[in-house]
Amino acid sequence: MKIAATQWVGSLSLLVALGMPGVAFAEYPEQPITYTIPFDPGGESDITARFQEPHLEEILGVNVNVTHRPGGGGAVGWSEFQNSAEPTGYELIGVNIPHIIAQPIMRTNAGYETDNWKIVMFYHFTPNALIVPQDSPFKTLDDLVAYAKENPEAVTLGGSGTYSANHLGVLRLEREAGIDVTYIPFTGTGPLPAAVQGGHVSGIFNYSMLGVQMEDTARVLAVASEERVPAMPDVPTFKELGYDLVGGAYRGVAVPKGTPEEVVTKLEKAFTEANKRITEKQEPLGFVMTYITDEEVDKVIQQLKTAYQPILEDAEAQ
Amino acid sequence: MEMLVEALMSILTFKGLITILVGVTAGLFIGALPGLTATMALAVLLPFTFTMDALQGLMALGAVYMGAIYGGAFTAILINTPGTPSSIATCFDGYPMARQGRAYEALAAATIASVVGGIVGVSFLLLLAPPLARLAVVFGPAEMFWVAMLGLTLVASLSSGSLLKGLMGGCIGILLSTIGVSPIGGETRFIYGIPALQGGITLIVALIGLFVVPEVLSMAAQGRGALPESGKLEGGVGGAIRKMGRHIFLKPVNLIRSCIIGQIIAIIPGAGGNVTSLVAYNEAKRFSGKPESFGKGNVDGVVASESSNNVMVAGSMVPLLTLGIPGAPPDAIILGVLLMHGLRPGLDLFTETGVLTNGFILSMGFAALFLLPVGLLGGRLIHRVVVKTPYYFLLPSITMVTILGTYALRNSFLDVGLMLLLGTLGYFLRLIGLYAAPIVLGMILGIIAEKGYVQTMLISIADPIPWLGLVENPLSKVLVVLVVLSAATSLLPAWLERSGRMAKANPDKTGSDKGSREEESKP
Amino acid sequence: MIVRLNTDLAAGILGLAFAAILWLPREELGRLSIIFPRAMIIITVLLALTLVIKAFVKPAERQVEIEGSPLRLIIAIAVLFAWWYAIGILGFLLATAIAFFGFTWFLARIETPVSARRLAMWVPIMALLIGVFYLAFTEILSVRLPTGSLWS
Repeated sequence: MKIAATQWVGSLSLLVALGMPGVAFAEYPEQPITYTIPFDPGGESDITARFQEPHLEEILGVNVNVTHRPGGGGAVGWSEFQNSAEPTGYELIGVNIPHIIAQPIMRTNAGYETDNWKIVMFYHFTPNALIVPQDSPFKTLDDLVAYAKENPEAVTLGGSGTYSANHLGVLRLEREAGIDVTYIPFTGTGPLPAAVQGGHVSGIFNYSMLGVQMEDTARVLAVASEERVPAMPDVPTFKELGYDLVGGAYRGVAVPKGTPEEVVTKLEKAFTEANKRITEKQEPLGFVMTYITDEEVDKVIQQLKTAYQPILEDAEAQ
Repeated sequence: MEMLVEALMSILTFKGLITILVGVTAGLFIGALPGLTATMALAVLLPFTFTMDALQGLMALGAVYMGAIYGGAFTAILINTPGTPSSIATCFDGYPMARQGRAYEALAAATIASVVGGIVGVSFLLLLAPPLARLAVVFGPAEMFWVAMLGLTLVASLSSGSLLKGLMGGCIGILLSTIGVSPIGGETRFIYGIPALQGGITLIVALIGLFVVPEVLSMAAQGRGALPESGKLEGGVGGAIRKMGRHIFLKPVNLIRSCIIGQIIAIIPGAGGNVTSLVAYNEAKRFSGKPESFGKGNVDGVVASESSNNVMVAGSMVPLLTLGIPGAPPDAIILGVLLMHGLRPGLDLFTETGVLTNGFILSMGFAALFLLPVGLLGGRLIHRVVVKTPYYFLLPSITMVTILGTYALRNSFLDVGLMLLLGTLGYFLRLIGLYAAPIVLGMILGIIAEKGYVQTMLISIADPIPWLGLVENPLSKVLVVLVVLSAATSLLPAWLERSGRMAKANPDKTGSDKGSREEESKP
Repeated sequence: MIVRLNTDLAAGILGLAFAAILWLPREELGRLSIIFPRAMIIITVLLALTLVIKAFVKPAERQVEIEGSPLRLIIAIAVLFAWWYAIGILGFLLATAIAFFGFTWFLARIETPVSARRLAMWVPIMALLIGVFYLAFTEILSVRLPTGSLWS
């Protein structure tokens, strides 16, 4: 009710100012929706939002504007969102696991909390993949592990962001394989193809999607999913190779806490429908589509929180 | 070849040409608004292309990109405000020219340079994409650090007057760029408990603040307009165009050099049009017979800046289309569009879907050509408006557009306040000899330098002396030599001049402003 | 107006102050976050000290000229910030209408007194200008401009 009043007064003042007659009441959505991606353009989150954009517009009947707010592995956008976004349903933000779990634990002042919003849906999962340059001496994962055992810290693995899925994946690989490698954070996925093709790092620990994209120019040693990814049938999983390593990033969309229930439901339906429509295009790129909503969201977050906590605390102690 | 012809045929239709024309015009106007960058122009116009087929959509976006990068020159020349960061260097000589009543000449020169630059970029992309693409991946973190250092040697030529103050400005800019979340460590720093400051101070906010606000304030204080109202053209519009055309093409060295610089920098991922135009400007000044005339209305400065940044448009697509590496920020959006249409960057793009790719590339060439009529007409119109509008209307209008543009950048009300604050400070900093250009340069390069430096330190963590990683690769060594050479060649003359000038009790009243104001005070 | 001021000294002190603002209240930062800013702060301090020394040994400019009227300068600064502040409270349209009109009037009366008739003639021109930009940003560029805290 409060929301409606705010909108009503807001629209009224606009109408007065413009001197135009009109009707102030309408059903959500009636204005353009801002969909913020807290990462650089060109990354997975951005590409997904671009895929969704036309479908969301068609389903919701209003403009959906994708804007970017990159920095700090997403924290800049998220903290701004939790601090200033209005719970009207006109401001959405892309959220990623494990970023939103890890950053508040690891930073003294991440500026946001894992739970201080309403996550509408997690719409897909991208497993981590270990990618090395074509001319790399590491033909298999065992090569890399053996070398890393003899030369601690010498193997450098690039990835997107600090305490991101990539970073945590590397930390878990270190534990599982008993090795010590150096993780190099980059801002987003954008700079990573150049880093691996130019041989600036020994390899990159990024998402399956980049593995598919770089099929011809790099070698994917393993992928951190339960089963092989359809788009890369020849690439073994870490599990097959004897390392219990399943992980990656869940991507989803959130609205501010206190957004009316009917608005959330409407968005959930729209995103579900959009996700179905883009499956055909996204799966070949290396995405695994998911439909995690409502209580399931909390369950997934809780589950992963317990999985990542010991690794994060270890990292913090160092 | 067949593909080229086929692609050409698909452009040379009524629909194709209209798409490009509309795209160029839309891009031009968005680019001319301060705060709205080429990236933003692409992002906001992207939804309009959803209804089009793949080729038409790409044609439209390529045209928007070309128009936006060029459009930034208008405001740079007419009100000393780079419409996009790519036009920073255009201000340095374009605005002094405008204040001397040569605004239309500057606009004509910018237009001709942009057209040539755009076409050169397209030719590079069409003919040399695969070999050039290899350049894109050789720039690792260490190399990027040295590229940033090389860029910082520009301070010498940007600091009018005192080199020490120029360096100080650069440092202030770099430090401003570190506010917010650290790019590698991921922690928040220098935010003083203000959550909104986590977003840092973006380049555009500082750019608009430092360039526009001091200009608005000084116009208000002096009670006069930006340009002399008697903006009469010697020999008319055609005369100005012919004069500039002759000037540019009779001594094409500057143009050729700027285009080559533009192409090389466009390929380096992470360095966009802003770096391109600054470097081209610097080299134009360095190799000029009269370096002291730069910053006081030398048209070669405008030509260098505008030709190199339009080379970047198609030039930065070289690594994008061949390797999927965006050469400049706006390219990331083009990458998204390609993926949306199911096109994967790589050599397939030039063979299997060659007609589409070639069509896209060629359309950018047409877009560059269209800049000529659209730019000269639009330029005439905007020039008229700026010259004819009484300054008491012009100033509030500029302020309003500035506020709108800054706000639109990321829907941030705080950004508008930061812009005004930086601008007001900038006015007083200018009085004590700390100019906007070195500060902005520091902001652009600080981020590149920090990422490169910290990543290199991490990569060579296992080495006994980590910082040797900065000079390990052959290319790094070459870049170090270039940095030293560049510093020496730009510092030495400045130093010699200064020590010579010292004898005359240093009467010089620093910098470009003096030069142009003298001109202007003549009736 | 001409102010006597040793610009080298002023620039040096400003540099030192800026470095101090960043350095003194810094939070506990990890090595990866502080390594670069720390180096830059040190360089800034060194440059600032050099400028301060130079200010006493061979100073450059010793006077600063504010061209035009300092009073108008101060009022213009005030107008800019008031405009910004008003947008937050009154919303973009109303605040801009008032600020635009006021700023124009203030600037125009420098030359000649402005008659009421001229003022009235401006209203439609300004309404058109503001309207065109407002609609361009909200409708074409889909920017959500502030509507003002007073109304909500």
